[in-house]
Amino acid sequence: MILRAVEDADLIRKARRGDVEAYNLLISRWERRVYNYLLRIVVNREDALDLSQDVFLKAYQNLRKLDDPARFAPWLYRIAHNEAYSLFRKRRPQGETEELQPETMEGEATPGGNAVFPIELTLAVSSALGKLTADQRETVILKIYQGFKFEEIAEIVAAPVSTVKSRLYTALDLLKAELAPVKARGVS
Amino acid sequence: MSCSPFDLRDYYFKELAENERRLTEVHVKTCTHCREELDRLRGTETALLTLPDEEIPQRIGFVSDPVFEPSAFRRGWDALWGSAARLSFASAAMLSIALMVFALTRPTPQISAPAPAIDRTALAADFSRRVNEAVQKAVVESEARQARQTQDLLAASEKRHELETQAMMVRVQEYLEVEKKRLNTLILASNDAGSPNGEAR
Repeated sequence: MILRAVEDADLIRKARRGDVEAYNLLISRWERRVYNYLLRIVVNREDALDLSQDVFLKAYQNLRKLDDPARFAPWLYRIAHNEAYSLFRKRRPQGETEELQPETMEGEATPGGNAVFPIELTLAVSSALGKLTADQRETVILKIYQGFKFEEIAEIVAAPVSTVKSRLYTALDLLKAELAPVKARGVS
Repeated sequence: MSCSPFDLRDYYFKELAENERRLTEVHVKTCTHCREELDRLRGTETALLTLPDEEIPQRIGFVSDPVFEPSAFRRGWDALWGSAARLSFASAAMLSIALMVFALTRPTPQISAPAPAIDRTALAADFSRRVNEAVQKAVVESEARQARQTQDLLAASEKRHELETQAMMVRVQEYLEVEKKRLNTLILASNDAGSPNGEAR
């Protein structure tokens, strides 16, 4: 992990000097993770791909503003978070005051598709995540699927650590209750 | 309500300071209730992790995209030397400056005898012709260089695209084979479950 962090920092320094190939290598390391983070937030593959491209474009344009290259990951995810919420705001009807929710439409992506078994649990998890608020879901994604520390999540979503913990633990309680019947039926 | 000295969930997610973690660890070893709570957390996380990451449908790359040029100075410099018209203008301007400097710094010859008559019109025409020839030559060279660079870039891009397409086809093929095997397994399992006495066929 330490070696990898040093390598990323080196690539960032090269990219800052105008080395586009170094930046492309950096992209290849992070694009899958950023895409999956966005996919689980916006629940639409096309939007997730478009947003991923925008994220890496903005990151390159603002690379010089990154004070500490070791903090690249939370900095990059902060951009991704802003892009996703900007999309939500654009698509929210005027005057609507309900909480921001991802787009739900016919043919929407079920993260993971049907590539894993048991399919029942996969669908139950996907459905349970869909019942969380956008903030709770994002916190679960950043902690469980992306493995960030609370401090980093707080930086990404621009909220205090205590709020992040509260969102995560409330969400986990809800998920536990939602998934209990499925697990009780013996799917594991 | 947890009886742990520190938040058991913080302990599970490795978010406690070292001394807090050690104290909680000691407590958990002797507390059945807290161990069960940890098992529940682990179960929820394991269920969540059944959702795998997806492959990104299209790789992201920004090679040769003008928007990624690094700085305003660099963009200005490249714009100046990357255009045939601007290059010609710059060449002509430099040539004119060189001629002016030469004319101003040239020592004045001592006149000891009446100088022969100089055909100033012919001299000016010759000067103008030479300048035009130099400019035209610079333009032709610049355009040829740009055409070569464009062809090289196109060839490299096509080659890379072809390699990426081949690699993608191989991955798709592998994916389809795996899916096919999984489908067969499912069908067999379904047949087994549907048979009246539950015997495998």
